[in-house]
Amino acid sequence: MDLLNNLYTGFSIALTFNNILYCLFGVFFGQIIGVLPGIGAPTAIALLLPLTFKANPTSALIMFAGIYYGVAYGGTITSVLINVPGESSTVMTCLDGYQMALKGRAGPALSVAAIGSWIAGTASVVLLMAFAPALAKFALRFGPSEYFALAAMAFGLLTVFGGEHPVKIIISTLIGLMIATIGLDVVSGLPRFTFGVPQLLGGFDFIVVICGIFGVAEIFNSLEEPEEGELIKSKLRLRDVFLTWEDWVASRWAIVRGGIIGFFTGMIPAGGITTASFLAYLAEKRVSKHPERFGHGAIEGVAAPESANNAASISGFAPLLALGIPGSPTTAVMLAGFMMWGIRPGPLLFQQKPDMVWGLISSMYIGNLILLFINIFMIPAFVMILRLPYTILMGFIVVFASVGAFSVNNNLFDVWMMLGFGVLGYIMKKLDYPIVPLVLAMVLGRLAEDSLRRALTISGGSLSIFFTRPISALFLGAAILAYLTPVIRWALKGLRRPKADTA
Amino acid sequence: MLIADLIGGIVVLLLGVALIFFSRQLSYMSEYGPGPGFLPLWLGIGLVGCALFVILKNLKEHAKADPFFKPRTKLAVKMLVTIIITFLLFPVLGFPIGLALFTGFAMRIMGKHSLILCGISAVLTAVGIHFIFGQLLYIPLPEGMIGW
Repeated sequence: MDLLNNLYTGFSIALTFNNILYCLFGVFFGQIIGVLPGIGAPTAIALLLPLTFKANPTSALIMFAGIYYGVAYGGTITSVLINVPGESSTVMTCLDGYQMALKGRAGPALSVAAIGSWIAGTASVVLLMAFAPALAKFALRFGPSEYFALAAMAFGLLTVFGGEHPVKIIISTLIGLMIATIGLDVVSGLPRFTFGVPQLLGGFDFIVVICGIFGVAEIFNSLEEPEEGELIKSKLRLRDVFLTWEDWVASRWAIVRGGIIGFFTGMIPAGGITTASFLAYLAEKRVSKHPERFGHGAIEGVAAPESANNAASISGFAPLLALGIPGSPTTAVMLAGFMMWGIRPGPLLFQQKPDMVWGLISSMYIGNLILLFINIFMIPAFVMILRLPYTILMGFIVVFASVGAFSVNNNLFDVWMMLGFGVLGYIMKKLDYPIVPLVLAMVLGRLAEDSLRRALTISGGSLSIFFTRPISALFLGAAILAYLTPVIRWALKGLRRPKADTA
Repeated sequence: MLIADLIGGIVVLLLGVALIFFSRQLSYMSEYGPGPGFLPLWLGIGLVGCALFVILKNLKEHAKADPFFKPRTKLAVKMLVTIIITFLLFPVLGFPIGLALFTGFAMRIMGKHSLILCGISAVLTAVGIHFIFGQLLYIPLPEGMIGW
């Protein structure tokens, strides 16, 4: 009954004219961002965030959520038609989507991606409605030790999911935490690492960092290594887009499996939509009776990762809304938005701002429906956007990044800092230091430090508080296991090698 | 890349050492619990440990990898210099004009677009910034000599 009441509350918010417009703009803009290589959802949201300072937070959130899952839809178009993923979450789609396009089946590839995304996305919203309040209720038991352990677990999981260089992931995380310590210490009131610069007393604003590290850095990287591919001239008339019965039979279980994998991967802090699509593809290949078809145009190879990434983009809101812990860079930017509007996401959000939570969740039904329509009937229009040169786009990125950084405190110091973070992001990417851990550590840094200090104050300095409380011990155990994963992998590789050598 | 990676490791090492040094100037423990220097000290120690790992790994390995400077790196550097000059000119030109000139110039230099397209984009940028950000969203952008 509660679920129906919540649904009613949500739809009464989401179906207002204003919020439908925000949702429409969000999904449309997200779809465009997904199509354009070199600019992702975190960048797009970070660049728009300062402009929503005076907007209704619920409407702005509806728009940002629309951008997030809209990007997951839009990235498919470039993956299928030019073999260049518009987003990292659509990398796996290139493998079979592009092969389908080469065989003249671009229409069904795009269609199964849209239908799979819609089914998985809508089912994911239903599950989110059931899981998120339960998670929030559970999180009401959390104290400082649990919050610290949860943040530690999120950082630890980054070493599992974040890339192939675990030490560099840890360095990136530590740098993010270090940046978060700059400014006035909230407990003692003493300035830390400000070196007499008054603008640093408040610390680095997250928007300034994001505009630089995602927006400007991406310009440098794209200029250096442009993502180029040849657009396949495939028939994309309406009748070429619809699936045949054979296509549907081949892909229906892939959509279900992909959706389930995506939903649960998205719920894990640091899991993310890219990991979800990767896992779904691997799982689908493993259960297939004809795994040799994968990589040569198997429609299941498009359906599974596309369903997974959309399901994960929806379920990623569960840890953000219920725990106040972002699971991906995009939700981290949204957390910055919550802070900008003076709202603290977490277990109490469901009680204090039910209209916001349920309005946002209900809008996802509407957004997914709009996206399904767009992706079946308007594909040719988005294909035209593929022809937009990046050299035109980059000027607008600098404009939005500069104005965004300036508008935080109305000073040019932030604009220079934004450029500094842009250079940092560019160099980090060149040296294979992942940026996502830095961003997540920066946004969670204050929470982690405050929780750590409060927990140790309660325990009189004893670390036992983290291990005697069951939830905290569980999270810390997972964190330790995650940090040890690279060592375990290395040891297992060492054990297997002699066998391979003797063979 | 290996030398660049090695230098990257050394920079992280120096950052870690600096963090340890400056965090030692803050109190490690306060009357009620950990002080402001507690976490930074451990972060510094962590950075030093990880940096040493990266440095030793690079010294041990002799494999070839991608070069740090690529054929198109100069384009990225050109863009950086253009942005720096634009930012330096903000107090004189203001935001709308400064960013408009940047847009036109960057499109011409990086994308080799026609002068007409660059000019139109520059004008649209200036007008867009002035009206959307300045008038519609009330962001008090720095004004230049012409009052925009």
